[in-house]
Amino acid sequence: METWIGRSVPRLDGREKVTGQAVYTVDVELPNMLHAAVLRSTRPHARIVDLDVSGAQSVPGVKAVVTGRDFPYTHGGMIKDQPFIAFDRVRYVGEVVAAVAAETEAIAQEAAARIRVRYEDLAAVFDPKEALAADAPILHEGMADYPHSPLYENIPGTNVCTIRTFTKGDVQTGFAEADAVYDDEFYIHAVAHTPMETHAAVAQHSPADGGYTVWSSSDGPHRRSKELAEALGLPVNKVRVLSTYSGGGFGGKGTLVAEATVVALAAFTGGRPVKMIFSREEELSAAQTRHAAYLRIKTGVKKDGTLVARSADLIWDKGAYASKGPDVTYRGAMTIFGPYRIPNLEVRSRLVYTNKQIAGAYRGYGVTQVTWACEAQMDMIAQRLGIDPVALRLKNCYVENDTFINGQVMKAVGLTETLQRAAREIGWGTPKAAASGPLRRGRGIATTLKGTATPTESQCVIIAAMDGSVTLLTSAVEVGAGQHTALAQIAAETIGVDPTTINVPNSDTFNTPYQFGTTSSRVTFHDGNAVRRAGERIRKRILEIAGEILQTDPGRLSMVNGRISEEGVGERAGIKEVFSQKFPRGGMIVEHGSYCPAGSELLKADPGMPQGLSSAFWMFATHAAEVEVDVETGIVKVLKVAAAHDVGRVVNPQLCEQQIEGSVVMGISNTLMEEFKLDRGRVLNNTLADYKLATMMDLPEIVAIMVEAGHPEGPYGAKGAGEPAVAPTAPAIAGAIFDAIGVRITDLPITPEKIRAALKKAPC
Amino acid sequence: MKKPIELTVNDELMQVEVEPQTTLLELIRDGLHLTGTKEGCGMGDCGTCIVLVDGKPVNSCLMLAADARGRSVTTIEGLAKGAELHPLQQSFIDQGAVQCGFCSPAMILSAKALLDEDPHPTEETIKRALSGVLCRCGSYKKIIAAVQAASPKES
Amino acid sequence: MKRLKPFAYREPKTLREAIRILVGEGPRAATLAGGTDLLVRMKQGVVTPSLLVNLKRIKGLDRIQRPKAGGLSIGTLSTIAALERSALVAKRYPVLAQAAGFLGSPSIRQLATLGGNVGRSSPAADMVPSLVVLKASVIAEGASGKREIPLDTFFKGPGQNALAPAEIITAIVVPDAAPSSGAAYVRLGRREGMDCALVGVAASLTLDGAGSVAEARLAMASCGPVPLRARGAEAFLSGGGLAEERLREAARLAAGETSPISDMRACADYRREMVEVLAYRALAAAVQTDRKAR
Repeated sequence: METWIGRSVPRLDGREKVTGQAVYTVDVELPNMLHAAVLRSTRPHARIVDLDVSGAQSVPGVKAVVTGRDFPYTHGGMIKDQPFIAFDRVRYVGEVVAAVAAETEAIAQEAAARIRVRYEDLAAVFDPKEALAADAPILHEGMADYPHSPLYENIPGTNVCTIRTFTKGDVQTGFAEADAVYDDEFYIHAVAHTPMETHAAVAQHSPADGGYTVWSSSDGPHRRSKELAEALGLPVNKVRVLSTYSGGGFGGKGTLVAEATVVALAAFTGGRPVKMIFSREEELSAAQTRHAAYLRIKTGVKKDGTLVARSADLIWDKGAYASKGPDVTYRGAMTIFGPYRIPNLEVRSRLVYTNKQIAGAYRGYGVTQVTWACEAQMDMIAQRLGIDPVALRLKNCYVENDTFINGQVMKAVGLTETLQRAAREIGWGTPKAAASGPLRRGRGIATTLKGTATPTESQCVIIAAMDGSVTLLTSAVEVGAGQHTALAQIAAETIGVDPTTINVPNSDTFNTPYQFGTTSSRVTFHDGNAVRRAGERIRKRILEIAGEILQTDPGRLSMVNGRISEEGVGERAGIKEVFSQKFPRGGMIVEHGSYCPAGSELLKADPGMPQGLSSAFWMFATHAAEVEVDVETGIVKVLKVAAAHDVGRVVNPQLCEQQIEGSVVMGISNTLMEEFKLDRGRVLNNTLADYKLATMMDLPEIVAIMVEAGHPEGPYGAKGAGEPAVAPTAPAIAGAIFDAIGVRITDLPITPEKIRAALKKAPC
Repeated sequence: MKKPIELTVNDELMQVEVEPQTTLLELIRDGLHLTGTKEGCGMGDCGTCIVLVDGKPVNSCLMLAADARGRSVTTIEGLAKGAELHPLQQSFIDQGAVQCGFCSPAMILSAKALLDEDPHPTEETIKRALSGVLCRCGSYKKIIAAVQAASPKES
Repeated sequence: MKRLKPFAYREPKTLREAIRILVGEGPRAATLAGGTDLLVRMKQGVVTPSLLVNLKRIKGLDRIQRPKAGGLSIGTLSTIAALERSALVAKRYPVLAQAAGFLGSPSIRQLATLGGNVGRSSPAADMVPSLVVLKASVIAEGASGKREIPLDTFFKGPGQNALAPAEIITAIVVPDAAPSSGAAYVRLGRREGMDCALVGVAASLTLDGAGSVAEARLAMASCGPVPLRARGAEAFLSGGGLAEERLREAARLAAGETSPISDMRACADYRREMVEVLAYRALAAAVQTDRKAR
């Protein structure tokens, strides 16, 4: 029985955050700091014919004006296709054309407005299907020359940024054996991450050694350091990235965004630091978005509901540059088969450049998109076959020791329980409230599975200082999900101290060890394992020291909450007393821990199948929703969502609930309220008045249900929770709408106008 | 052209110089270095910049600093008494109402204004009173619980 | 974030002084009341006034009071929050308090003023339809004196109104409601809180002794270049009863009297359709408030 695992330890960062003391990137103040503003492209696709920055340079207080000619570097973690600042060409409205550093933000803005650009417009393309046409304007003629990982195959001479395929069995045979074959197309829209803290960064250049220091709330400080180092031709030990608290990321702070601009400027300010804060307009029009996608799936099914084959053709809207798109869409594509056993599979996934804002990683990493199509079609199949939607899913869904599409044997599969408990909580199968005036009630359900980026590495260092106090050095970023608290609990459990006494400072790539990123729901599992390993070592050394001081066999000693006991004797001392005696003149003990699942038996795939599709762990989630549709206005009100998540062993129930409840709110907001309104690639609704997020008044009843399928390799059995939470909300709502009014929406978002239009075609 | 104004910030009477175009938010963050007040949009659409002026919540991004002359401003830094947190601050921690924390100061101050006026609000009243502060982490359920838990116990 | 560009700034202590400053500066001057709209548009660069004349140091412009002659006088600087909470408003004109609760967010309502909401003259203004059905007028004061402009005729186009240069709204006045009358405001947004009206409809109904409609008024937000009245629907209702089918027919007529636009918030057809839905709901709610009042 553990002491600290499974307990709602209050978050370590709580006090700083409720008192206003927590420092976010927007709060970073340095001596002599300058402020940045940029001029952005007003054209979706154009050549820069002339760029005159003299107007900006003459504004008093301006210290640097930088263009792509001055700073001719490109970056891109997967495909190096993106200039820090546009060279001679812009590919979307909002691309940085020139940047200014000045004594104040107002001066920088004033100066940026005085830069004159002459464009020669090029033909532009805004829809990925149109961008696939033979005569479509091409965004990246030089695609073949971009350095990129061999994983991401592109098609030079087209707009196909990456193409991936996968085949298993034979879908044609499968379709032939099926009693029915359904071919449906779905569309999922782009949404904005909309962190309350917009993108921001501070950079300082050292003219002495040519290195850079960057302050950022990016979710992957070491990867940002690597990307910057690769882009600038510097060693990683010359690019220091310091993390602050993050005012929300949701995947949107996982590439170089504001960082790229301030680094470019800092090269020209003689060592003065430069800070940039995105305005909300910039955040909504020139940061990153979720990838929109056309998802066509064809599924063969037996009369009894057994799925026998599925083929899929996916077209993803990349926007102007690759960002994390190649991997996001690959992971998504390989999940288009859902959490279901289907013997015959085929998918083609194409990621297509368009002249729009860049799409990147968004909570769920491609899986949110495919879950929309997969689950909406599952409902349609159930309806066509006259099978209950829950029963259809239970019939086909993965159970313990089933194999994933590449043959990986899946462990810790709590999916069935999520389906059953979510269904029970929403009252599945019980009578609904009767219609009242124009209001109709309905219920829907949807499920998902999500893997984690595999194999990836996490390391940490644990220090027990001269007084026995413990510090955990990790590069996991406290993005708001309570990462530092959960890791402190794992450390506390392993070492035998109180988690609230553990210090977990914000990371610094020069001082905290490598970890892949606070992404992919991976921190509790990967960093937790690293922490557990380091913690075991430090515990052993603490007890050795205690044995030495207390003159007994360390094997007879144990420690709980910092109190050391001897077998058969009882409590002997506190860690503080022992360490004070051991280190009278100061000192500390330091241990390192690392974890990477590479080579684990658990990842083994079938011969000839890509092991890269295996996941260190799999998460499962089911959302069941009850909605009320006003048939006169088309307005959908979500009344209740029961969200059952298999997160493995729960480390901190309160933090888990936060993830689940929060993502239900995000899911509702994404599905019913959020939408970009574009005019030739220009975002029209670039304010939070018109890009609408759910408010507290839109909050339904949310019941968070935690299913704990303990993972054999997880720290104390833990898996992860952050991403899958948002994926099933949209299809559950769509299913509930169908149940309420018989209208099936296949393209997101679900708007009152679409509901009204559909009702006019088929009145209920 | 800077002009001196006198105002009270967190119970401290002070004289500061402001330009006409300086907003109260800029005065608080850049002038007084009270960075607990956040700017999420600058347009009054997100509520993260809410402070209390004479006890009422206002969007400090849309109020000129000059209009704070002679008034009393409370920011998140003014709530705790030394090491002792305000009951709402403690409640936000206990109830798990904080995630990324960027909206927390505005949520807590809005809740304070509400409880000062209505110590026992209904859930609907809390939702309305706090509806002008956006929380992308979606902590709304736990924030409501935190406000309810901080409501003074009936004697 | 966007910063305000520098501007000249005055804080007159009297109305007379304010008018004098406005006359002197000419059309590039702007008056500042709550600032929740003006400062946003200045940050966005949509308007660039050379001089801001802040009215908030003029005493007495924020009073909500009942003049001796009856009715209600709402000072131009009265905040929307004050209207929402005023006991006087709640008792005599509950529809105004209701409309106030829709505007922006609670913290915006602490700053935003009624004079600002009316003076901005946005077709989406949330306070205006209710004021129109209550037969409110604008009291304006300029260099040539004071005048009263019925709200009906005040709006001239999006952002345009009947104010002369250097004229300032000092109050909105509302006459006493007739006995046996009720009013309601219904509006549609994409979310429950903090949303601008896709369509808003206010209705008032006054009954005669026999229970027939003596007078009906319907006013609509976001349905045309200015806040509109549905005069055809009003005429149809007058003299008749309150049967559901009559209210529905009036709502249909009202929808036909609108000229909404398609924009990023909604398309024109949907708006027109929603006028019909909302006009019916507003009328039905007005009947209810009347019944409650009696």
